[in-house]
Amino acid sequence: MHRPLIPNVSRVTLPSSLKRAALCTAIAILHCTVANAGPREQAKRIFDRITGTPPSAAELDALASRISAGNPVGAALLATEDAAFYNVTLKNFIAPATNREQSVFVPLNDYTATFVGMVRDDVPMNTLLSADVIYVGNDTSLPAYSPTSNEHYEQMEQRGLSLRDVLVQRTQSGANGLPTEATAGLMTTRGAAEAFFVLGTNRAMLRFTLMAHLCNDLEQVADTTRAPDRIRQDVSRSPGGDSRLFLNNCIGCHSGMDPLAQAFAYYNYDTDLGRLVYTGGQVQPKYYNNEDTFTFGFRTPDDRWVNYWREGRNERLGWDPSLSGRGQGAKSLGQELANSEEFASCQVRKVFRNVCLRDPVDALDRTWVSSEVSAFSVNGYSLRQVFADAAVYCMGD
Amino acid sequence: MLAACGGGGADVVTLPTVPPTPTPTGEYNGPPPNTADVQSFRLNVWDNLSGQNRCGACHSTGGISPTFVRDDDINLAYADTNPLVNLTDPSASLLVSQVANGHNCWETSDAACATIMTTWISAWAGDAVAGAGTQIQLEAPPIKDVGQSRSFPDDSGLFAGTVYPLLTTYCSTCHASDAAFAVQPYFAEGDVDVAYEAAQSKLDLDATADSRFLVRLRDQFHNCWSDCTSDAQEMLTAINAMADQIPLTQADPSLLVSKALTLFDGTIASGGNRYDNNVVAMYEFKTGTGLTAFDTSGVEPAMNLTLTGDVAWFGGFGLDFRGGKAQATTASSAKLHRELTATGEYTIEAWVAPGNVVQEDTPIVAYSAGDAARNFTLAQREYSYEAYNRSSVTDANGMPVLLTAAADEDLQATLQHVAVTYDPVNGRRIYVNGTYTDDVDPEGGGTLGDWNDTFAFVLGNEVSGLRPWQGVIRLVAVHNRALTDAQIVQNMEAGVGQKFFLLFSLQDLVNVPNSYLMFEVAQFDTYAYLFQQPTFISLDPNPQIPDFPVMGIRVGVNGAEAPLGQAFENVDTQVTAATYLPEGQRLSELGTIVPLEKGPEDDEFFVTFEIIGSNTNIKLEASLPPTATPADREPVSAIGLRQFDDINITMSKVTGVAPTQADVAATYEIIKQQLPSSDDINGFLASHQVGIAQLAIEYCNALVEDTVARSGYWPALDFNAPSASVFASAAGYDALINPIIDNMIGVNITTQPDTAEVRTELSNLVDRLNACGTSCAADRTAVITKAVCAGALGSAATLLQ
Repeated sequence: MHRPLIPNVSRVTLPSSLKRAALCTAIAILHCTVANAGPREQAKRIFDRITGTPPSAAELDALASRISAGNPVGAALLATEDAAFYNVTLKNFIAPATNREQSVFVPLNDYTATFVGMVRDDVPMNTLLSADVIYVGNDTSLPAYSPTSNEHYEQMEQRGLSLRDVLVQRTQSGANGLPTEATAGLMTTRGAAEAFFVLGTNRAMLRFTLMAHLCNDLEQVADTTRAPDRIRQDVSRSPGGDSRLFLNNCIGCHSGMDPLAQAFAYYNYDTDLGRLVYTGGQVQPKYYNNEDTFTFGFRTPDDRWVNYWREGRNERLGWDPSLSGRGQGAKSLGQELANSEEFASCQVRKVFRNVCLRDPVDALDRTWVSSEVSAFSVNGYSLRQVFADAAVYCMGD
Repeated sequence: MLAACGGGGADVVTLPTVPPTPTPTGEYNGPPPNTADVQSFRLNVWDNLSGQNRCGACHSTGGISPTFVRDDDINLAYADTNPLVNLTDPSASLLVSQVANGHNCWETSDAACATIMTTWISAWAGDAVAGAGTQIQLEAPPIKDVGQSRSFPDDSGLFAGTVYPLLTTYCSTCHASDAAFAVQPYFAEGDVDVAYEAAQSKLDLDATADSRFLVRLRDQFHNCWSDCTSDAQEMLTAINAMADQIPLTQADPSLLVSKALTLFDGTIASGGNRYDNNVVAMYEFKTGTGLTAFDTSGVEPAMNLTLTGDVAWFGGFGLDFRGGKAQATTASSAKLHRELTATGEYTIEAWVAPGNVVQEDTPIVAYSAGDAARNFTLAQREYSYEAYNRSSVTDANGMPVLLTAAADEDLQATLQHVAVTYDPVNGRRIYVNGTYTDDVDPEGGGTLGDWNDTFAFVLGNEVSGLRPWQGVIRLVAVHNRALTDAQIVQNMEAGVGQKFFLLFSLQDLVNVPNSYLMFEVAQFDTYAYLFQQPTFISLDPNPQIPDFPVMGIRVGVNGAEAPLGQAFENVDTQVTAATYLPEGQRLSELGTIVPLEKGPEDDEFFVTFEIIGSNTNIKLEASLPPTATPADREPVSAIGLRQFDDINITMSKVTGVAPTQADVAATYEIIKQQLPSSDDINGFLASHQVGIAQLAIEYCNALVEDTVARSGYWPALDFNAPSASVFASAAGYDALINPIIDNMIGVNITTQPDTAEVRTELSNLVDRLNACGTSCAADRTAVITKAVCAGALGSAATLLQ
């Protein structure tokens, strides 16, 4: 059965003829004039793009005056102080990263709130995947934060609370009992665990983290020339009886992915308890799923990860030479990922796309992105600053 | 030509194909066996070989010596047979090698006869052999430098101009498919490409004098056409002419390489650890060619399978089913009825690699009459194995079926060992990779008295051919007992296919006599080899092992390191006297697959190292090529749509109505996913506009219904006055429209809609809605306000950014 286009229109006390008239008028006003942009037009676009909403007259005046004074970045930063930047722009900016379907229509959770809070407080984004940080709502009307429920955040959203005002920073270790060394920023939030540590083999956490924060799915980083010595036993070397599939396809992703996803060997999402579970020193049984599929494959003994993609074609991802490319646990893996050039570039490109409503299309755009990536790391990985810079770049002539 | 098949003149030396008439054999009436071992010999070997259709035709009493199947005295036959067998390694018995080399094999495949003969001798050897079979005697391989081997060219041209003419001239009377007495292999086939493929296993390009074609003439006097010595020389000349024109394979001189080996230079890793004491039908698919898959169980009658439809031989032993089937005759299949109903229990065991996990109710192994009648069937339903069995507690179709739990996903599209046991107590039990799946047969056990002996045994399909299964079967065994858990594990651990220990000589790399890097190697499937567990070992009985490093092991194939699958390249370890054991020092527990290039007969393997002993050749990654500059794209609109949340908060902001207002929130929840979720203006749809209009109406309704809020928004508008009077003057229009323009459109913003045009449009809307004049309802002013508000709110002025 199809959902009616206007399912509850009868509840509105407006005669149907008037509804039609209002609708037609709305369509008629779709026409608008595009003229050369002055400070007011630039101010409106900056505000529009950063907050998703139009400025009030006062806000427009404030932004326009800064632009007129030669401080458009100041105008853009002023726009980032609007509550809608947090409740609308940032929330929907990160929402697809929180679920496997990559849907934006998902409830607020600790993953989203922590991202929003870190941007608000200019917490360096290169700690996004490693920090012992979580943001909770500081409002007595809310149910208390719980590591076993998302109710705290869902209520925050349903009540329309301003994330700008209500979020406060806490530690994950304090809030949910994780050992500090087991905390890994967004990856160890309850929301991430529910989405990516549930069932399966924990490879999902790596894949979706790569997609969301390095803008690369596995197809983009697949490299069949890497050593397959860390590919687990559950990967068939002869899918359907044809080893060519493994040698030409599977090996490309698994050779790099499996040694990285080993960092999550102690994590699981317990569907009964509804929470992230960490078993330090004890590998989760899911790492031995289908161990008879290829018994000579790698058997995970601990959470030591290694990044085989530091060499070969994925060297282009720009790994931090000051890091070793190997470690134990999710925290050090998060540092490895978030200190890469590709991570910084991904953040900038995503912001550019969000603010300018397009991907870079020409040399000018690409140059801006390149210089902004450099500035991002120099300026303390402030994503709020990137939003402001991008809004200025795309504010119009 | 005739001489080639043994019908020539006096100079021809042949093996006798028409034996002297022996004493007819039948029931044994001689003296009883002196020992239990003689009795075992009689039951397992003599009974199987003494018939007129087997060795008894020649080697019986008064026949050709040795008379190892003589029927006058079983004890003398036993004495004659002992020199012909190797009970420690039955496959190395002279009886086996004779039939393997084509000596009066009773099947159409020499390999099948060899396997069957091995089975019989193994059964005689019994437990003593089973225990000894685990002791592999490693043999020093031939020493060959990498790059000193030759590989067969893809094209048959060279063969056609050298060896092939001799074969077609002297061997085509037998070794061609159109010969009157066609004998495999068809290396003298009229189609030179077919002949070339068959001849390759008979030619040794590196040691031409060891070529099988030559050995048969020179040493075994097999159907020489004139004088065997000169015939052999003629053949050698032809083979040399071919080999000399094939260049040696070259390896990179900078590599630290071991010596080279082919697969068959290795020591065969015994597969004799299977538990087959109760096997009644066995298929190992070793033939690799032809239209028959042989039952090598040794239990008569042989239940050989005829391949029909799309079925291909699978590299490394197996059949690849792609729509066809492999079926035995109903007469031979009756063996199963006889053997299994006698015990009332059975085990179906198979190594299978399902082609996918979407096929449903497709038989893998069946003993049936069609889609609706069967004795037993092992089948696939997506991720589950199915076991059907006809018994006293199930119907004629073996229903209800026992199914492994779908959620467990026991069946995977990869090589798996699967076994179904049936016994009168437990009924059906399914094991995957040696583990019981915990799926209890709800029907329990019964009797097999209802089994029908006219059904046929079939693989990969129903006998009707209507339910094709897609996948690979690499081994099938039917036992007339329900194997125990331990026996199933034993058979699973024995693996499938032929395995070799390849000992790559390190004599030029480390100062340890007779030192090798040993791999266990098998052909994994049609396209790859499995290399596993590299081990450093010395064949010296008391080796002196110095400490030395080993790092970066790679497998080389045909002169170059394999491009894929180098799972040992990160090995970084130390060989030491302290860690070295008599069976060697394992350098890695892993296994990997390496692409097959030319085939197991031709591919030459070697091993390279980055560091071994004092030798170093560190491999450096090639530098990345510069990244290409992306091409410019088409310009993109600078204008985009607000998305769902943007629209909601925008409407809230410009109306002052909270998004949590009950009616607004309820409507938003309903239409949220109808609103734009992309900012691409080209993706704007009519349904988007309908949703936007509805939300706009809801916001404006909430605003106007709130008397306090509306007074603040439209301070000059008298909502209680009749619309006719309110809009009787321009002031009324201004009172309504000006706040809307100020809040929703904005002023002095040239990129927004022109305010005069907006005012005109909204005024026109007021006029149309106010056309009722004095007959308008009392709340008409509020209604008009809502409409005008919604018209502006749901417009491009708020939708675009």
